[in-house]
Amino acid sequence: MTDEVWMGYLVHHAADYTVVQSPFVLDGARVFGADSDATTLAVAGLLHRLNHEAVTVVSVPDGVDGLSLSAATGVSLHDGGAEQEPDWEVLISDEAIVVVSRKNADVQIPMLDVEVEVDADFHAAIESAWEQELGAGHVSQGAYVSQAQYNEAAASRLKLHGQTNGDQIVWPPRFSHVVEGATTSGAALEHRGNVMTWTTLSAAGAPSEFSLRAPILGGVSTVLLALNDGPNGVFLVVDDEDTVLAMDAPMQLVFRRLYAQEGFVRYGLKARAIHD
Amino acid sequence: MRVRLVQEPYGHCGVNVDASLRRERVYEMLRLLGRCMVDVAVVGAGQTKYGNHPLGLKGMWAEAASKAFASIDGDFEPAAVEEAFIGSIAFGGSQLGNTAALLTEHSGMDGVSVRRVENACASSGFAFRDAWMAIKSGQADVVVAGGIEKMNDLTPERKRYWLGVSGDTEWERLAGLTFPGTYALMARRYFHEFDANHDDLVHVSVKNHFHGSFNADAHIQKQVSFEKAAGGFMVADPLTLYDCCPTSDGASCVVLAADHLAHKFTDTPVWVKGAGAASDNLALHDRPSITQLKATQTASAKAYKMAGIGARQIDLAEVHDCFTIAEVLATEDLGFAQRGEGGLFAREGNGRLNEGTTTVNSSGGLKSKGHPLGATGTGQVVEVFKQLRGQVESQRQVRDAETALTHNVGGSGATCSVHIFGRDR
Repeated sequence: MTDEVWMGYLVHHAADYTVVQSPFVLDGARVFGADSDATTLAVAGLLHRLNHEAVTVVSVPDGVDGLSLSAATGVSLHDGGAEQEPDWEVLISDEAIVVVSRKNADVQIPMLDVEVEVDADFHAAIESAWEQELGAGHVSQGAYVSQAQYNEAAASRLKLHGQTNGDQIVWPPRFSHVVEGATTSGAALEHRGNVMTWTTLSAAGAPSEFSLRAPILGGVSTVLLALNDGPNGVFLVVDDEDTVLAMDAPMQLVFRRLYAQEGFVRYGLKARAIHD
Repeated sequence: MRVRLVQEPYGHCGVNVDASLRRERVYEMLRLLGRCMVDVAVVGAGQTKYGNHPLGLKGMWAEAASKAFASIDGDFEPAAVEEAFIGSIAFGGSQLGNTAALLTEHSGMDGVSVRRVENACASSGFAFRDAWMAIKSGQADVVVAGGIEKMNDLTPERKRYWLGVSGDTEWERLAGLTFPGTYALMARRYFHEFDANHDDLVHVSVKNHFHGSFNADAHIQKQVSFEKAAGGFMVADPLTLYDCCPTSDGASCVVLAADHLAHKFTDTPVWVKGAGAASDNLALHDRPSITQLKATQTASAKAYKMAGIGARQIDLAEVHDCFTIAEVLATEDLGFAQRGEGGLFAREGNGRLNEGTTTVNSSGGLKSKGHPLGATGTGQVVEVFKQLRGQVESQRQVRDAETALTHNVGGSGATCSVHIFGRDR
């Protein structure tokens, strides 16, 4: 068994399961960070598991976005039919704890001593903002990325799938380079890069899709990374850590919530400083 | 294939053509052939004051068009306009469809062939290009180009939505970027690559506010001190409020005419001597370099070549300084400064009125004159039209101005149009 910090979360690796816990605690209970939820923890857990063994099919409960999880990990979702019973399942709890488990494994949730106490007012404000953003009555003035558009680019956005064009790796993919009908081919980029430049937008200057949360967070930060495999990309910086940005600093990309619109969350990769 | 010359070019098919008709046809052919050599002039130009304008789209357009028509010295009727190109993002979405037809209805150009041109902040720079090409192609002799944007009648949240619609939505917008953020990324990288810092941007801001303080049509007619501009509210680190153009309402309109008609309208036409346009990757992260705009370099090279001159012959330039760093990059990309020395160019005051080879943004630029997105490109033409005719306020008149350049950029450099103008044909 091993415990480690993985993509900003606490991970406990056992023979038949992986437990992912948020480091944040409020009144003795684990709570999600500002841009995390059960899906982001599940993705981190599954990616961690994939470092140790192959997982081909997984089942997910309500509360986990299966399509985004599948796009981010490459693991197929169980379609619900009896013909193909999944070996693995995602389990969620009332707290910010998610388990990726072999089916019917005897899971023990470890008590980890890493705890970051969160400010109750901050936590309540962020939770309220997400709730409002996700509400059916909330018509965001934010940039419109439809479900279809989101799905079309999911592999390149969530798993950094690119294209090879001769010796060159192209990311995000171009339709002019479509290979045998697929927009991606054979190039999954490493989730790491170095800061080429960065900015922090004030809450007043942040895009309107962040208008509910930016004032609480004190603005939003964006980095342009030179990815280790060649292409460049712009990414938000994770909301749930204090990050000191610097030119050329190495960063990793982790799966987080971006924003919500019309009742569904758009997930993406965000940059976090490499310090674990 | 062999060509056989015939004595009777119009009669050899058995058609009986009389001599006068033959002559007319020859003239027509020569006229069409000569079209590729036709020169195009700006014969009238006008704009609203930029800022928080009390009127809506129709009223603002009517005002700009009527000022443009009134600036024409000779006989002119709006009905003479054969084609009209109106640039606009249609900010706010109140009139996204058929914008141009609605506007021309309010400016006496009923029935004119008209369309909206959209290329983000370069919309009317491209509208002007389209108007110029319409005359060059021989399809029209009198054409209107203009632009318009109404931006200040929206809630702050709706405004912030529209301010970011011209980036790559799926990648840049989801990464939290609107244009202050995009240009902030460029600025920080520029400081990293070259001997430059935020003080250089402050010099741009102070200069453009100085020029704009004398411009009655400017949104912000106030000078600012170096200290005040340096200490502005941080919008997108490292860009402060004084690095960002204001959100402006406004409309602009210019009238172009073919050479054989230009002197019918005015004794002092302003000639279009060069035109160039280009595009680049929409998203910043797809470009090999983010400290230069390839579209500007390509567009200006074409325009200079057509005009047969270089950057040193430009007396005044209206460049697209939506953010101060944009002017620094533009001075390099347009050839006024060497690569990496745009900051130095600003620091040494080279763009100030009548102080260097080229006065940059005598109008105050987008920074001070204002930036009603779709109106900006033709608004720049209004400025050079007046400058080259000696018709601006005396405090900001460029001395002995013979040649001018306009530079209009869409987004963070995905589109760009450059035009060169002269008092002489």
